[in-house]
Amino acid sequence: MMNAFATSLKRELKRLKENKSQTAWPSLEPLKYAAGERVADSGLPTVKNEAWKYTNLVSLSKTGFSLAQKTDQTTLDRNSFEYIELASDCENRAVFVNGGFRDDLSQLHFLPQGIKVWFAGSEPNAGADELLKTLGDDTSKHDIFTDLNTAFLEDVLIVEVEKNSVIDRPLHIIFVGSSNEPGLLRLPRIIVKGRCNSSFEIIEEYVGIQGDLGFTNGVTDIVLEEGSKIHHSRLQVESDEASHIGRLSVEVGKDGDFSSDSVVFGAELSRVDIDVVLADQGASCNLNGLFVGSGRQHIDHHTLIDHVAGNTQSEELYHGILDDHSHGVFNGKVIVRKNAQYISAKQTSNNLLLSGQSEIDTKPELEIYADDVTCAHGATVGELDQSALFYLRSRGICEEDARALLTFAFAQKAIANISFPGIRGWIESRFLGHHGYSKLNSVLESR
Amino acid sequence: MLAVRNLHAEVNGTAILRGIDLDVEPGEVHAIMGPNGSGKSTFAHILAGREGYTVTEGSVIFENQPLLELEPEERAGLGVFLAFQYPVEIPGVNNVYMLKAALNGIRAHRGETELSAVEFLNLVKSRVKAVGLDEALLNRPVNEGFSGGEKKRNEIFQMSVLEPRLAILDETDSGLDIDALKAVSKGVNAMRNDDRAFILVTHYQRLLNYIVPDHVHVLSKGRIVKTGGKELATELEERGYDWVKDETLE
Repeated sequence: MMNAFATSLKRELKRLKENKSQTAWPSLEPLKYAAGERVADSGLPTVKNEAWKYTNLVSLSKTGFSLAQKTDQTTLDRNSFEYIELASDCENRAVFVNGGFRDDLSQLHFLPQGIKVWFAGSEPNAGADELLKTLGDDTSKHDIFTDLNTAFLEDVLIVEVEKNSVIDRPLHIIFVGSSNEPGLLRLPRIIVKGRCNSSFEIIEEYVGIQGDLGFTNGVTDIVLEEGSKIHHSRLQVESDEASHIGRLSVEVGKDGDFSSDSVVFGAELSRVDIDVVLADQGASCNLNGLFVGSGRQHIDHHTLIDHVAGNTQSEELYHGILDDHSHGVFNGKVIVRKNAQYISAKQTSNNLLLSGQSEIDTKPELEIYADDVTCAHGATVGELDQSALFYLRSRGICEEDARALLTFAFAQKAIANISFPGIRGWIESRFLGHHGYSKLNSVLESR
Repeated sequence: MLAVRNLHAEVNGTAILRGIDLDVEPGEVHAIMGPNGSGKSTFAHILAGREGYTVTEGSVIFENQPLLELEPEERAGLGVFLAFQYPVEIPGVNNVYMLKAALNGIRAHRGETELSAVEFLNLVKSRVKAVGLDEALLNRPVNEGFSGGEKKRNEIFQMSVLEPRLAILDETDSGLDIDALKAVSKGVNAMRNDDRAFILVTHYQRLLNYIVPDHVHVLSKGRIVKTGGKELATELEERGYDWVKDETLE
């Protein structure tokens, strides 16, 4: 018997074929259809698949999905959802609701010189068309969720940063989930190209209206040319009932640098894959992560750093905090290819379990085929320090606040690594609010 | 103020305290001395409410309240303070914020309003000078990377801000050089008054040259085996603990 996911897929693929004539980009149709067929052939991965060992997708296969309409007119205004308020009122903001771009909520007229933003399909454009070819390259990845995204994608956000451009104002991309229909599928897709010696910052933020039941399957592709640098912040604060599977694929060219912050507070089921290929000499990356789970949340991070070229460096630091019955997964894979000499790779995963029922699976995976490699990895899993807890309580701090203070201190190690001050402050207050640590605000306000 | 009666306690089934009786009145300074393993630190920890000890017999009344039934923070709210022998390092928790949370917790317990940011800061500044703690340490994580002497000064600094009614100093003199010992003693002496009592737990008589006690008790094998005035400490220093043990046996 077909599961609900397979049934939904069959239905939507049929519709995709029938609607061929109305599509915005006829040239992409074969690509989309082939991707859809691959999903149909493989089906959803199960826990027998090593990469999905700790993340059970049975809820997705039971719920199935329906596609969000491109002209989603969900009545939302600026006050319907919360996102990071960056200090600057002239920030560049692109807002999508249930996957569809919303001009009325966005603000893109402050884009500085040197950065171009397109929505593929909106109008024919040679530059955008060239970058859209990335979609074709992705088929070689054999990733079912990238294929699912490709098969049904509608709005693709394309960002190009021109040669030698240093953009000091971040581009803030916000995806809002708002659906009382279980399994409403949203397909955010971002393509970023950093031309030679460019430097810029992107904030990719996923938020949800309270009680949103949808399923977000996003893919972001970033290619950095020689000397190009990007700081990418990925923030997920979605509804406790939503599902999220996201992928960030990055290729770093000669002397390029990719730095990433991934912060996850929601959804109920969350899986993020971050793949970085250090493709040429001098390329480097720095991955920083913080995930905070409570209730029955499941939060999975899989990272892959592929040192293809010599003289490349990577550093990775992830912090997990898990309360109640939540389950966290951190799988950090590092590959050092043969002949890729003079490599430095460092990976750390620190985890704090706040309850007896919370769980973490943390696993480093190192595949090293070269000799001149400095590679270090470490993982810790612990509870709150009982002697520190007693120390604080003996000073007159109640147990609840003492626990909150120590938990916050653990999170601080991750937060301190976040480079953008606006995001740091936002995460701190979010963190305090999320766990009912509001009382702590009065302690910390004087900072 | 504090009445300890026939206090028995054990750790993992091993008896550590075997019937302690002690009365402390406001304004008094009591020294509890004794050889290693006599139960001095256990006694201090039990008064502050540390988990891991089982009280099998006896009672502790503090200001008419059954102390052993209270949570550590409630004891702090009543005015009990323990200066730790080994102050805990707490990475990520700022010294001053911790102290602010503590003071607010204690004030709330007393039914007082929180201090304003300015009032708190003024209090902190005046006290940090009094104990000779480097002001730069205020905004560092609690005790992290502090030297042994700095940790002990930090304990006394916290005590001076929280203004307890009963301060228990657990081996505060251990590991201190003479300058730090003098500074710590000065901080304690400055806080002595008619309402506040101190229990000094110490192995050596040295500390008592600087903080002169009203009463000295010798603890051995979980019992107070001898009590006297400040001269008892000097006698112990000269004759050693074996002398007391022998005398008790006679």
